[in-house]
Amino acid sequence: MKAVGARLPRYDGTAHVTGRTVFVDDVRVPGTLWAKALRSPVHHADITGLDTSKAEAMKGVHAVITHADVPLLEYGHLSALGIPADEPLLAKEGVRYKGQPIALVAAEDEETAMEAVAAIEVEFAEKPALFDIRLALDPDAPTVHHWGNIYPHFEGPMDRRQIRKGDIDWAFDHADLIVEGVYRPAAIEHCPLETQVCQVVPEADGRLTIYTCSQALYFSMGVVASHLQVPLNKLKLVGGTVGGGFGGKVDTASETMTALLAMKAARPVKWRWTREEEFLCSTTRAAWHMEIADAVTSDGWILGRKMLTLHDSGAYARFSPYGVTKHSFHHTGAYTIPNLSFDGYVVFTNRTPSTAMRGFGVTSVSFAVETHMNRIAELLDMDPFEIRLKNANRIGDTSPNGVVYTDPSTVQTIHVMAEEVGHELPADYRTMTRGPRDGELLPEHLLAQVGDPEAH
Amino acid sequence: MKLNVNGIEREIDSPLLTPLLFVLREELGITSPKAGCQQGGCGACTVLIEGEPRRSCLVPVAAVNGAGVTTLEGIGTAEHLAPIQQAFVHHYGMQCGFCTPGILLAAHAYIEGGGGDDKRAISEALAGHVCRCTGYVKILAAVSAAARGDSFDLTMTTGTPTTTFVAGVTE
Repeated sequence: MKAVGARLPRYDGTAHVTGRTVFVDDVRVPGTLWAKALRSPVHHADITGLDTSKAEAMKGVHAVITHADVPLLEYGHLSALGIPADEPLLAKEGVRYKGQPIALVAAEDEETAMEAVAAIEVEFAEKPALFDIRLALDPDAPTVHHWGNIYPHFEGPMDRRQIRKGDIDWAFDHADLIVEGVYRPAAIEHCPLETQVCQVVPEADGRLTIYTCSQALYFSMGVVASHLQVPLNKLKLVGGTVGGGFGGKVDTASETMTALLAMKAARPVKWRWTREEEFLCSTTRAAWHMEIADAVTSDGWILGRKMLTLHDSGAYARFSPYGVTKHSFHHTGAYTIPNLSFDGYVVFTNRTPSTAMRGFGVTSVSFAVETHMNRIAELLDMDPFEIRLKNANRIGDTSPNGVVYTDPSTVQTIHVMAEEVGHELPADYRTMTRGPRDGELLPEHLLAQVGDPEAH
Repeated sequence: MKLNVNGIEREIDSPLLTPLLFVLREELGITSPKAGCQQGGCGACTVLIEGEPRRSCLVPVAAVNGAGVTTLEGIGTAEHLAPIQQAFVHHYGMQCGFCTPGILLAAHAYIEGGGGDDKRAISEALAGHVCRCTGYVKILAAVSAAARGDSFDLTMTTGTPTTTFVAGVTE
């Protein structure tokens, strides 16, 4: 543990302060063409006509690509986990969010590329759009997705991430108080200072060199190879220098399309999104709707929790099922609640697809849980530190998904927080440990959930 | 047209209205000024024109014909870092590094202009420079330290842990 607490220099510090760090946009390849995308100007529509011939005939235009140029049009970000694909790389029958790419152009310079995009003829039959996840199951709600408005492919035909633990009816029958809350964090744009950018170079040996700003280089490699239907040894991805990501550069947003342009034009191609594209078309953190009802005793035990979560996936699934699964595992926060009934839905809307952002699926539920803990403490007239310590995860407690905690840190964390803010705790809370429950901290209602940490 | 870039006279062939940012990046191959927004909103393209911080994405090159331009490459090298560069390394004033060139140049101009260790004045000098990684605290600490004239130890390769935080300390 030589590094913990020591002052170590950043390995990239000197390069950063001298301007020598080479971001993707700083890679210099002679003869590089500029890419621009035709993006949907509407939120939801059928595409009734698409004609790129005028753009293709323009002087200085070297390649135009549409859905017809993609060897495998649909490949899901979770396809490798057996989850079916739902998103075309370039829109074919229709568009489901404003900004969805329909066609791309590679031209001698940025202005020519923009003129060529403007020369592409596309016709839409607009459809009503859905933006509010709470309305997704209304009978008159627009249908966003060919799977319906709810993602239907959790285990087998399950349309939700579901957790049932203990006896939720017993908990609500024995509660002194039911505490309810609704929590609705909004979507957030990651807004990295470096917008999405990709440079692809077709090499003489038939390989493609792909300079990527991806946060997930090997993952992107698989996505590109699948869409292009080429073996991995045809791709050389160069990455590792990311001008801010925060989760917004996990999805493979630009590599595949830039690669297709470079192959078709047989020239190096660069695609750098504008700030406007980054705001309007890139992924965001999802909007969430969370409803919590807790069965609480007057002395501060949380006997049970019912929770409903709606997660705004945007127009396609991407990583949302994974995010909601993580969310479900964390829906009791750092606290042990023995009786649970949780239902989490991935809801499709006509917004840009959402993705990871700094604690994917967990940040939202932590906000809800911690706010809810304060609400319970206030209603019971209890110290918010004490109610947290009382219900804190201990060695041997089990998580919502049945994992036995061997190394929980809730108790120490709350002790440090109390000390940092100068909050006096009564002696029995101050001396509390994270060790296995016993005595007053192992009331009858927590017995059944205790597991064996050694068996883990 | 001519520019004096980092002390070297350069002939410029780009069209008159080309933003200075792209003259530097594309014609001269100087890549430290970044195209963060191309709307004057983020500060990542900041360079010094006759010592003053300016958004190079909003400056047509013809408007600064003959001027002296300083980019991050011009204030120090890896072997001879300017005090503000040392301060940023020492105080971890950057993470991804994309906003760093613009912020460093604005800070450099502030200190060269006689600015002192004054949080409010430093914040004013860096206003409009967006950083999404650091939360600004370490950037402000770095500029304060450079303004105070601190000396910096950049050889901190080993060091002694300053705190002992061991999992399970309260067990």
